[in-house]
Amino acid sequence: MSILTAEQKQIQADAAAFVAKEVIPFASQYDKTGEFHPYLLDAARESRIFAMAVPKEYGGLGYDALTQAVVLEAWGYGCAGMGTTLAASVLSMDSVLVAGTEAQKKAYFEPMVRGEIGSFGLTEPSAGSDAGNGKSTAVKVGDEYILNGSKCWITNGGYASVYVIYALTDPAAGMKGISAFIVEKGTPGFSIGTVDHKLGIRSSNTVELLFKDVHLPAANLLGKEGEGMKIAMKTLDMARPAIASLSLGLAQRALDECVKHLQQQYPDKAQPGQTLQFKLADMKIEIEAARQLLYHAMNLRDAGLPYSVESAMTKTFSSDVAMKLTTQAVQLMGSYGYTSGISKLMRDAKIMQIYEGTNQIQRLVISRAVLAPARPAVAVQKGGN
Amino acid sequence: MSILLTEEQELIGQSARDFAKENLDPIAQDLDHTGQFPAAMVKQLAAQDFLGLFLPGEYGGAEAGFVSLVEVVENLSRSCAAVASILVNHSLAAYAIQRWGDAAQKQAFLPALAAGGTLGGFAVFEHGPTPGVGPDALIATRHPAGWALKGTKAFVRNAGAADVYVVLACTDPAAGAKSQAAFIVGAKAIGLTVGPLAETMGLKGCPVADLVFDDVVVADSALLAGADGQTLTTETLALASLMEAAQTVGIGQAAVEHAAAYSKTRVQFGRPIASLQAIQTLLAETAADCHLARLGLRCAAKLMDDGQPFMVETAMVKQFLARFGAKMLIDTVQVEGGFGYSEFMPLPRLFRDIAGTTLLDAPADYPEKTIAAALLA
Repeated sequence: MSILTAEQKQIQADAAAFVAKEVIPFASQYDKTGEFHPYLLDAARESRIFAMAVPKEYGGLGYDALTQAVVLEAWGYGCAGMGTTLAASVLSMDSVLVAGTEAQKKAYFEPMVRGEIGSFGLTEPSAGSDAGNGKSTAVKVGDEYILNGSKCWITNGGYASVYVIYALTDPAAGMKGISAFIVEKGTPGFSIGTVDHKLGIRSSNTVELLFKDVHLPAANLLGKEGEGMKIAMKTLDMARPAIASLSLGLAQRALDECVKHLQQQYPDKAQPGQTLQFKLADMKIEIEAARQLLYHAMNLRDAGLPYSVESAMTKTFSSDVAMKLTTQAVQLMGSYGYTSGISKLMRDAKIMQIYEGTNQIQRLVISRAVLAPARPAVAVQKGGN
Repeated sequence: MSILLTEEQELIGQSARDFAKENLDPIAQDLDHTGQFPAAMVKQLAAQDFLGLFLPGEYGGAEAGFVSLVEVVENLSRSCAAVASILVNHSLAAYAIQRWGDAAQKQAFLPALAAGGTLGGFAVFEHGPTPGVGPDALIATRHPAGWALKGTKAFVRNAGAADVYVVLACTDPAAGAKSQAAFIVGAKAIGLTVGPLAETMGLKGCPVADLVFDDVVVADSALLAGADGQTLTTETLALASLMEAAQTVGIGQAAVEHAAAYSKTRVQFGRPIASLQAIQTLLAETAADCHLARLGLRCAAKLMDDGQPFMVETAMVKQFLARFGAKMLIDTVQVEGGFGYSEFMPLPRLFRDIAGTTLLDAPADYPEKTIAAALLA
């Protein structure tokens, strides 16, 4: 296992206990109904876990990045859909952490501390991987912005009390004309559109957000006009490892379920053959490698060092491992897997390779870093070893 | 005429494709939502001669062989793999009776199986790790009227919908799987009940349930005596693997065609994503895997048609698809991104279906064992 502090280990154990009591028993039910259930927020209120990313000075738990990762792994283990609810709320807060003023932070974090959730709206039908290609606009009129347009596939959209929404303040400037805004639930003109029905993570709420002449006070602008894309990219750097954490939880769950199944199938001292034994060994290797890459990225972030590429790498590797291992779990358990919650793991894992930047976009980021020119020349050592 | 198929096989494949486009495309998504057994569709499959495709002409079959059968299964699966599953499991019962039944058994069952008046099912799995050893193992004991069957078969496809099942039971609990024998059991047999339908990930509409036998008495004439139960099981499951591989290829083909079309219309970064090499690679790998699997399974089906051993070649196809089958949908959903993950789009159904056609029906290490045993013999 890894090196966590005593406090982190305690938080990890508490998260696992919460998940065992409040998440796992309901995972299958909400997967079937395909609905988010607000009970989750009630259950989590006492633990204040939805405020784990809120700094202590604002009444939150102030967890560092590694500790957040540990918690999200536990949630991914229990239900990647409910884990997505938590991760997406943290994601929206990250934008406020990146660019918010004191007053904005106070206003945004206060509901989180009460056990409410936030939501992050960047994606539009025309702006998926091409995140800068959105059409929503925010036109300044006096001391207000008038927001028009729509957002799609927005996690928590139907249940959040506060939102961070990206829109063009200067459409002519393209990506450099995007700005970020805090939008409150219930603002006139702001409504919820179609609710998506997804292959997996069905217990999380995914909706369309519709904005028709929504008046926002100028004070709701995060950062400066035109800084939206920069804020979004920094936010996603922070948030991507959350997907790695959920994926890691899924992968660990897949292995644990395989072991449980084999122990039932091979009671007493009987063992599966080497083909299966080695498959389990490979699963374990990949899980540990994914965990170490995630922890390393989190350590970099907590140390204030650059971690953008590590963030992309951990998201990509963990989600690919989760997809592979959950598929193997269904295979290993055959019809038992196909007719049980094991198949949910496989359906849930698929989105991990897609959302918060597809793994293709991550590979673009990583390959650019690999191919980046202008590295200092390294002297080649000659002779003697 | 294709180098790989005779003119007849090609025509049969094309007729299945045409049939599927007209009759299955319109119902596939609904069937996935409701999971209701499509009884009317079974009659239509029969009208197309698909239910008795490989059966001899004297029993009303089309006598078209196994290459034709896998062609039909693939082409149906391109539209709806669940309906293909009904045909697949029906065919397993028909195969066992045709291959190992005596003249009277064939005469009694095959004409109705070919004509669609009788739907077949094949009940082989149990809840224990190997048949015959679990607490609910199906045991056949001698009875004055023939045999009495008691116990449970698990994950039976076409359960509740089939009119007749070929059922594996142990005749000697001490000998376990080695004492297996196959019986033909009518669905209306007294003491036979169908358990609750399992909630499957995909292939919805092909029912899956336990069959519970509470002292079901069958006559001596119900015993399929042409082979021991193990041989019958192994060979019939190999045919199952082959047909499931054909389903997988059909699903994969449909997915890659859909993803390719989508990639041409989806514009990001100012151009269709089809122009991005990363997308092209995902599509190309899927198409290549699909093609190679198709060649492999046709080859095994041809061996069956020629009366040659086909177990190892079939295991190789299964092994290949265990590695690359699910990947076809993992990668094509990836091409379609957030849109593709929505159940309002078709690929999620295909994703759930392909897990059912590639990942089930045999111990996860079965293909490797079969191939290695042949190599090392």
